[in-house]
Amino acid sequence: MSENALEFAGHTLSRASLDCCVKCTICETQCPVLEATPLFPGPKYVGPQAERFRNGASVDASVDLCSMCGTCTLVCPQGVKIAELNTQAIAVAKADHMPLRDRLISNTQLMGAAMHPVAPVANAALQVKPLRVAIEKTVGIHRDAPMPHAPTQSLRGWLRRRDEPVAPAAGSRGPVIFFHGCAGSNFEVDASKKAIEVLEFLGYTVTVPKQGCCGQAAKSNGLFESAAKQTLQLCDQLIAAGAQLGEDGDEIPIVGVAGSCAGMMKHEAREVMGITDERLVNVSSRMREFTEFVAELLDSGDFPTELLRPMPDTVLPYHQSCQVKSQYIGQPAIRVMEAIPGVTVKESGRACCGMAGTYGLKKEKYDIAQAMGKPLFDFIQDENPAIAVCEAEPCRWHIRKGSGAKAVHPSQVLHHAFGLSDDLFDRNVIS
Amino acid sequence: MSTAIVIGSGLAGLTAALRLDEAGFDTTIVTMGLGGLQLSQGTIDVLGYAPERVDNPLEAAGTRQDPHPYAVTGTAALAEGIDWIQRTLPDLLHGDGEHNVALPSVVGAMRPTALYQPSMASGILRDGLDLSIVGIRQYKDFYPELIAGNLERQMTPDGGRVSARACWIDFEVRDGECDSSAVTFARALDRDEGVRRLAWALAKIPGAGPIGLPAVLGLKTPNVHERLRELVGREVFEIPGLPPSIPGMRLNEALRALCTRRRIRLVQGAKVIGFDAADSRVSSIRTHAAGRDVDYPADVIIYAGGGFESGALEVTSHGRVRESIFGLPLITPDGALVHGDYWGEEQPLFSVGVRTGSDMRACTEDGHVVYENLCVAGSLLAGSSRWDEKSGEGIALASAVAAVATASSMKEDQ
Repeated sequence: MSENALEFAGHTLSRASLDCCVKCTICETQCPVLEATPLFPGPKYVGPQAERFRNGASVDASVDLCSMCGTCTLVCPQGVKIAELNTQAIAVAKADHMPLRDRLISNTQLMGAAMHPVAPVANAALQVKPLRVAIEKTVGIHRDAPMPHAPTQSLRGWLRRRDEPVAPAAGSRGPVIFFHGCAGSNFEVDASKKAIEVLEFLGYTVTVPKQGCCGQAAKSNGLFESAAKQTLQLCDQLIAAGAQLGEDGDEIPIVGVAGSCAGMMKHEAREVMGITDERLVNVSSRMREFTEFVAELLDSGDFPTELLRPMPDTVLPYHQSCQVKSQYIGQPAIRVMEAIPGVTVKESGRACCGMAGTYGLKKEKYDIAQAMGKPLFDFIQDENPAIAVCEAEPCRWHIRKGSGAKAVHPSQVLHHAFGLSDDLFDRNVIS
Repeated sequence: MSTAIVIGSGLAGLTAALRLDEAGFDTTIVTMGLGGLQLSQGTIDVLGYAPERVDNPLEAAGTRQDPHPYAVTGTAALAEGIDWIQRTLPDLLHGDGEHNVALPSVVGAMRPTALYQPSMASGILRDGLDLSIVGIRQYKDFYPELIAGNLERQMTPDGGRVSARACWIDFEVRDGECDSSAVTFARALDRDEGVRRLAWALAKIPGAGPIGLPAVLGLKTPNVHERLRELVGREVFEIPGLPPSIPGMRLNEALRALCTRRRIRLVQGAKVIGFDAADSRVSSIRTHAAGRDVDYPADVIIYAGGGFESGALEVTSHGRVRESIFGLPLITPDGALVHGDYWGEEQPLFSVGVRTGSDMRACTEDGHVVYENLCVAGSLLAGSSRWDEKSGEGIALASAVAAVATASSMKEDQ
């Protein structure tokens, strides 16, 4: 592990890929920020080209407009780590003048903990325009930026109070460790609960260890030191949970519902911040997206397709979050949801919704994020204005506000199809 | 159901995947980048030079000698490939395999190609054509003086001459942006408001013959050139240039959209890093996903990973060429692979590639098949310099057709 994560920035791993750039322009054609604004010169310029001149310093403020969605790295035929280079350059550029706002919004646990006990008040307060204007002026979070909705009960509260796990439909399939991320614990609680129950229904014994933040938000705001600390703390918690389950505990799958956080644990912590600690290697190799995990079961032919209630003539607009795309797993959510009779999934084809974690909250980036989201919002309204499916939480907040659709996680669709609930289309049930 | 893996998502990979799907395979594409198709000119070059200019590419392909890919695949596979891509994308590709047309290139060469996009049709070069080549001041890498000057200097394939004048217009598509990319122009021209503004700028162009523009005439909206013709009252055509190539993107996006519609799985960003084999069959390939390696088992594998440009072929530090995933046998010419004469004979290195039999299975010099269920298609194949003879897309189509035919016959054998 690098003792000083920031020191790693701009060096070794990503920088080694820079000379592979052949200027083919494929990244430029796919970059959602470049599409939305002429202020951003594009991934080829701020990535491999500008990096040659940096030598530890910052050469161009425009790199800060990169949303770090990772699309450029994903489409690069030469393996250039473009988004990683940008993330490192942003961290270096901001190191000596980190805005208070960026420290605040990357402290996701604090936000959740602060809002829960006073959820109705907090939710209401975030609707109060003068207050939001004041927040924008003092902190820099845009007055219209989508905010999470805090339910009165956190996931941990629900876990403490629930009576019994859901009875498995068939035999037991062994243990899994559930990774909910901060938003899945404090805000998108319904998605977490339903993912747990679907896994139980499928026959897994689900363990939900106490878990901290993965460091994704801190990393994407350039706070590498605290991010690295958070990542390894989380590794310790997940590994300890396995150890309690027995000798093979370090081989038990870790199933996550937080798309961007799974990506952080799988590869970003290593590729962006240079963490090579063996604890991270162990957790990375076991981490699965919920849909990736369920699709593996589907492919094995051992998935109880016959228990799925038909959803006749149902079109589900689906947007695969950029940070799930970057996990190089294809689009398992599509075949998982299309296993339900009557369901047709329409894939958005958009690179990124514009939220990109915390990018769309920032007052100076809000308009760009909205422009990035507009084609996606239009797509959802055209395909099915009632509902949209997406694997990452901040994207769902952005989609809810931008399109008006009820944005859900694929676990909520499966929960409905297995007959475990009936509120999939109920707009009041959002978190 | 038989499973198939296609490695690579250029024209050969996408064609192979769609035809495997048509043949009833459960198909997955594994690809590292976005594929090379969008860097192409958006035409289907079958055979342009052999070495003289070719009029009938299908016929000339039939005279290629071993180890040229056309000698390996045969012309029936090529004819089927051409027919297939036209059936698949009828609105995007016109022309036929038995006639080359000459289209102006971005340096004013008369580039032979077999299939072209309708938006290029009025620029097909013939005697007596009166062209206005129009540059856009806010778009770089397109020099109408160079194009017009060179076009007037050459003889058209029918033995005549064209006249061509160079003109410039202002056409700003984003406020204050003085060098917008082709994609930004194309997105602006996907909207009718943008087309109207361009038509207004073109109204002042002198002459009455076709207007040639950089290839930026819309990405999602079909037939922007027809709308311009309506508004300007003259034929309008586009000239493909440097990447990003909008005509290439149109082909790429149309074929990918078809893969999505048919639910062919596409695993983007996944580099193939290894494989498992037993009894001279590849049982699975290994890819690098985030945080771990993922194995994809398959009954058949079609390898369309590209050539040197994508790293499927590489030159070691000892100057030896090798295929980077399976270590397949190559055809390598004797002697130096690279010579120092930049404008001289074609570099021998570029004809290096994988050796196959007519079933597209990689084989050794004495015909021994390396892996029974592994076929090769596209730029990986030995025996031709595609950019020199203008044959890249034709070889991709013919070899993908032949490879899928082998895959299908293996399926029937099971």
